[in-house]
Formats: sequence, structure tokens, C-alpha cells
Amino acid sequence: MAGISTHVLDTDRGRPAAGVKIELSVREGDTWRMVKTMITNADGRTDGPVVAAADARVGEYQLEFHTDAYFKGLPDAGGEEPFVDNAVVRFSIFDVKQHYHVPLLCTPGSCTTYRGS
Amino acid sequence: MDRHALTRRSLVGAGLGGAVMAGTAPGALAQTSPAPGAPPKPGTLTTAPSSQMGLSPRLTMHAIDNFHGTPGAGMVCDLSIREGDTYRLIKTVTTAPTGRTAEPLLVDDAFKAGRYELLMHFEAYFRALDVKLPSPNFLGLVPVRFVIRDVGQRHHLPILFSPWGYSYYRGS
Repeated sequence: MAGISTHVLDTDRGRPAAGVKIELSVREGDTWRMVKTMITNADGRTDGPVVAAADARVGEYQLEFHTDAYFKGLPDAGGEEPFVDNAVVRFSIFDVKQHYHVPLLCTPGSCTTYRGS
Repeated sequence: MDRHALTRRSLVGAGLGGAVMAGTAPGALAQTSPAPGAPPKPGTLTTAPSSQMGLSPRLTMHAIDNFHGTPGAGMVCDLSIREGDTYRLIKTVTTAPTGRTAEPLLVDDAFKAGRYELLMHFEAYFRALDVKLPSPNFLGLVPVRFVIRDVGQRHHLPILFSPWGYSYYRGS
């Protein structure tokens, strides 16, 4: 399997972050072109691949996670404003034969990302 | 890699870290003798944690290299504030041997509420340390985005990073 996938985990509550809007953009010269918008499912993943193997190209990609709206919209939201602005993760596909799993672990005050598997 | 890392650390200790980040070839680094008074051993941490308790409201940062287990010294960072749909560059800083900046990122009149981005030059940092990376690297220029709402509070921003991932959070 190649391409890009993601997984959003709410490590404040210890569960998948469902209903998080994610925007995928690709770098074109000096600008970022928005390709598509996805919403995480109950498992914190997207229903389809973020980028399918056949569509993967060497280059820079950006995932913007709308964590701000997610945390504010939770039924048990405490009214505190998150410190982390919408987390934006930029990374490169350097070999289209490989898979790029890019999870986001988030709380209102922190975020973590890494090349997962 | 260790030899280059040691040499670089020595250069940073002598206040020459900026020259390394300016793109000095690894070969040139290897020929440079460690400066007198430079940190004694490779991998030895010579900086102790510091507390900022009681200091006036300000924004500070701390870059921590989880790949080498050292402070992230010589990391170039561009600090910008959001204005409408774009980010306006405020200043570019380079981290000191402690992984912190010599001066607060923002303090006094410059410390304003807003949405900020700290764009960190990960790829240049690891290439200067002669770390073997793919091209283009997985992480190149990394945007760290955060919000300052209450300028009556001190804000500390630690960033823990490696070539394959990073974390940041509101520290203290």
C-alpha cells in the first residue's frame, strides 16, 4: 500500500477524534492548492485514503486539522480557548512506492505528529 | 555523524553556531579544531533546566532535539502573526546552544494577542548535522501554530522534534 492516510486521536479524552474537518493541500510553486476536504469518522480516520496510491506524487503536502472547532464543539467542552491553532502538518512524499501514515495526537494545549505505520 | 555533531557542538559552544547554519560544508567542519573551553564530551548536556516562574508576561520557546538527545541549537525559526488570510513575518531567530533564544520571542509592547506561526527549518537543521535524510525530507519547513489570547500570562512553547515527527505544547 502506498499513498497518504491519517488518524486523529483526542489524547485529552483518550479516544478517536470524530468529526474533525481535514483539508488536504498540495504545494504548487509558492502556493498551496486545496485538493479536498474530509471529515474523520467514528474511528478518527477518513473513510477513504487521503491520497490513493495511484495519485501519489513526489512533493509537499499539507493537512490542516480543524482541531479548534472540534474541541469547542464537544458536548463537555469547558469553554477554554485552545492554545494550538488549527494544527497544520506539512510533509513530503519522497518515494511514491512507500506509504505515508501521518497521525495527529491532539489536546487543546498540545499536538504531536509523526510518520506512523 | 557523531564526529560532525561533536565538532558542531564545539562550534556552537564557541558562539559560532550561526556559521554552521549558514551552510558550511560538513567537510570544513570536520577540519576545525574544537575551541578551548568548548563542551568536553560528545552527548554531554551542559545546560540545566531553567525556571521562568515569576517573570513578566512574554513568549519564549525551547527546541529539543529528540534524535540526538540534545538541545536543538542553531534552529532557524521565522515568527509570524496572522493578518487576515496571511501570516506577516515579525522576525527570524536562531536558537542558542541551550535550544532557547537569547531574547524572548515577544515581550513588553511586542507581546500581543493573536494567532501566530513559528516556521521551523527542520531540514536545514538536520542537514547541518550531517544526518542522512531522504530528498526532499519528510519534514522540511514545519509550521507550529498557536494562539495567544491573554497577554497577562507568560507563554512558553517547547518543541520536541526528530526528522520524523514533532510535538509542541503550552509549557511553563
